[in-house]
This record gives sequence, structure tokens and C-alpha cells, in this order.
Amino acid sequence: MPTQALRFASLTIIACLAVTGFDIVTGLEHWPFGSYPMYSTLYSGQLSWLRLYGATDQGEIPLRDDRDFAPFDQARLIVALERLRSAPGGNQKLDEALRNLILLYNRRRKALRALRLYSVSWTLRRGLQGSEPPATRTLIAQVTAGAAEAGR
Amino acid sequence: MRAPAEWAKWAKWHGYWFAPETAEHLALVRVISYSLLFAIYLPFDDRGWTQVSPVFWMPISWFRTLSGPPRDAALIGVLQMLWKASLLTSAIGFVSRLSMATAAALGYFLLGLPNCFGKIHHLDGFPVLLLCILAVSRCADALSADRALRKSRKAPIAVSGQYTWPVRLAQTLFLLVFFAAGYAKLRNSGLAWMTAANMRSIWLGELFTHTPPTRLGSFLAQSTWLCQFAAVATVTVELSALPALFFRRLRVLTLVGLLGMQALIALMLGVYFTPHLAGYALFLPWERCYKKLHG
Repeated sequence: MPTQALRFASLTIIACLAVTGFDIVTGLEHWPFGSYPMYSTLYSGQLSWLRLYGATDQGEIPLRDDRDFAPFDQARLIVALERLRSAPGGNQKLDEALRNLILLYNRRRKALRALRLYSVSWTLRRGLQGSEPPATRTLIAQVTAGAAEAGR
Repeated sequence: MRAPAEWAKWAKWHGYWFAPETAEHLALVRVISYSLLFAIYLPFDDRGWTQVSPVFWMPISWFRTLSGPPRDAALIGVLQMLWKASLLTSAIGFVSRLSMATAAALGYFLLGLPNCFGKIHHLDGFPVLLLCILAVSRCADALSADRALRKSRKAPIAVSGQYTWPVRLAQTLFLLVFFAAGYAKLRNSGLAWMTAANMRSIWLGELFTHTPPTRLGSFLAQSTWLCQFAAVATVTVELSALPALFFRRLRVLTLVGLLGMQALIALMLGVYFTPHLAGYALFLPWERCYKKLHG
């Protein structure tokens, strides 16, 4: 193997292993490298989560399908909303986010009169199926379709 | 002059990464990897992100150098078409250098873009690394359209370490993905992660936070013993990915365990690690199959 090629390959290998090792040890993420921390925290018997509900002519419905707010899937969307909520100026950012989300939803179905973000919780016990309504529900933010259209 | 111990270390390092292989060995990995990634990402569409409000823009890595999220859906559409075409041309080895560089650069951009909207999904990091490694390798030295079209070019070297290290590095990074996941659990939660209660909470919680295709999580969560076994087995299999780099027999067991674990994750949690199929494929004996096919 030519020396130059050997040097290049060795440097590439060392660089990749160094960034990978650094991310693993520190828990930092340098995408596409990463520390892969998914599901690494402790989960308690109490689940707190954010959930979006839509106000329609037939009443309020939970919106938890991965295609509801495409290109967002539920996992990414809820984490993004949680991050906005805890950021400085969180309320204002959440309002702007919900205005965008109702437009994304209505672009496909045109059914929502309002979009509401709730903090919800369940007590996790054996036998749950995932369809049970939350034990607690607290309204965090809401927008109407009219306000979202006006703010376009 | 190097001391004997130093030589021994160097020989080990060299033997691990650069044990001579044929050009076909790496070329087959090229064909399989690009073909698989093309098939997996064919329905992939990033254009929707141009409709998402900039309030969601939380850039990662090199995306921080952009002034904001891309707003031109047509441009993203063109880039996607170029990327998918480059995956295909890389698989057949047509205009190989340009194709593979395009596949890596556009792969980084297009697969990284969704991760700039609030959360990194750990599905596409490895495929991007694989594309980058193949792009700087000599994987088009054999079984490529370029070689067939330019017969006057000199033949590839029979065997060389140049055809070994890219596969070895991709395999190593793939296994380290899982070791990282196991290590993160112990770093963030300690041994408490491996309790039945924690595992049960994960399985039951995902019924509400995700949309799993089955209710298997609900069913299995009823058994404390199963929860306990799954918690210990998960961390054990993930951590075994590091020693599996060096021990072939353990590697087979670990890979089977990891594949089974990811299949269960898909069924129970609704999280699909489909792009990782390209990683598992790196460990299959493609050259043996190829030789059998060609007598």
C-alpha cells in the first residue's frame, strides 16, 4: 500500500475514532457522530408529555398521528415544542409555532378551527393500552385558524 | 528505531485495518451499500421543511453556518433528485468520484436538515458516515461502469490494505453506535436503568408518546421478569458491541442480538431503524457469495 495512501487512511481512521470517542465520553453530539443518548434517562411511573388537540366542529380531538403535522413526526415535534417552551420568550415562540402548525395541518385537511397545546400526564400501570385519556391536562397555549391566517 | 513492543503494536494496528483484501471485496460493499441506501431513501422528502416556521430552526453541526432554514422547495427538490441519482450512479460505479462525493455532500445536507428542527433522530448519522467513508475510498476500482467503459486503464492492484480499511472503519463506527447507546444509559442513569420498573415505564410510556404498530409493549410490560430480562439484555448487548470489534464469534452474537433488539423496538415503540440495515449488511460475506455465483 503506498505510503501516502496509508497516511491518509490512518489519519481518517484516527479522526473518526477521536470524534466518536469524544462524543461517547462527554455525551456531546457532533452530528453525524453522536453519543446516542436516546432512552438513557430514568423513567418514572408518572409520564408527563405535551399533546396537541384540535378544535373542530365536532369538538376537541387529540392530534397524535405522525402525518398530522408533516414533515414533523410526533417525537420531533413534541421535543421541539418543549424546547421552545423552556427557551427565553417561550410563550411568544409557542404562539408562533402553533400558528405555523395549524397552517401545516389545515393545508391538508382544512378542518381545525383552533389548535391547543396541553401538558398531559398519566400514571403508568400494567394493562394500559395507549388509548386512555390523560389523568391531568393543563392548557399551555392556543391559536385560532383565523389568527394564523391573518398572521401569514 | 522503534522498540519491539512498539513494532508489535504497530503490526496489530496495521493488521486490523490494513490486512490485504481484493478490490472486489470493497466494490461489493459499494454496490450493496449504495443500492440499499437508494432503496431506503427513495421515498425521502425534505421539501416540507421549507414550510416550517423559522421559530423551529435549531441548527446542529455545520448547519449553524447557514443564516436560517432553507425556504426554496424547488431547490430542495432538485437537490434530492441529484442525491438519489448520485446514490444510483455510485452503486453502479458510473462517474464514480463525482457521484460518491455528491452522494456524501448532499447526504450530509439532506439527512441532517430535519435534525435542525428540534430533535436529532439517531437514524441517519451512520448512513452519512458510511457515505463519507466510501467517497474517500477506492471502492470503484472493480465492478464499476467506469472500469468497464475505460478498458485501457491499468488493472486494480490484486490485493491491498486500501480495500480493507474503509469497510473496517464503517463496521467499527456502526458497532460503536450501539456501544455509545449502552454507555450513555450507564453514564446518565447508572445501574438503576437496568431495573424492571424503568423498562416497564419505557414500554408503557411509548404507547402514549409514539404510535407503535402493535400493543406488544403493553402485553410484555405485564411481566416483571420479562421487563427485568429486557433491561439487562439491552445494556449487555449494546456494551458487547465494543469487544465484538475484536472477537469474531462474539460479533455474530452481538449483531444478531442488536438486529433482534431493533426489530422489537420497531414493534413495541414504533421507532424504525431502517437505515441501519446498511450497517448490518457490512458484515455479510458478499465476496463469498459473489465467488460462488461466478464459479
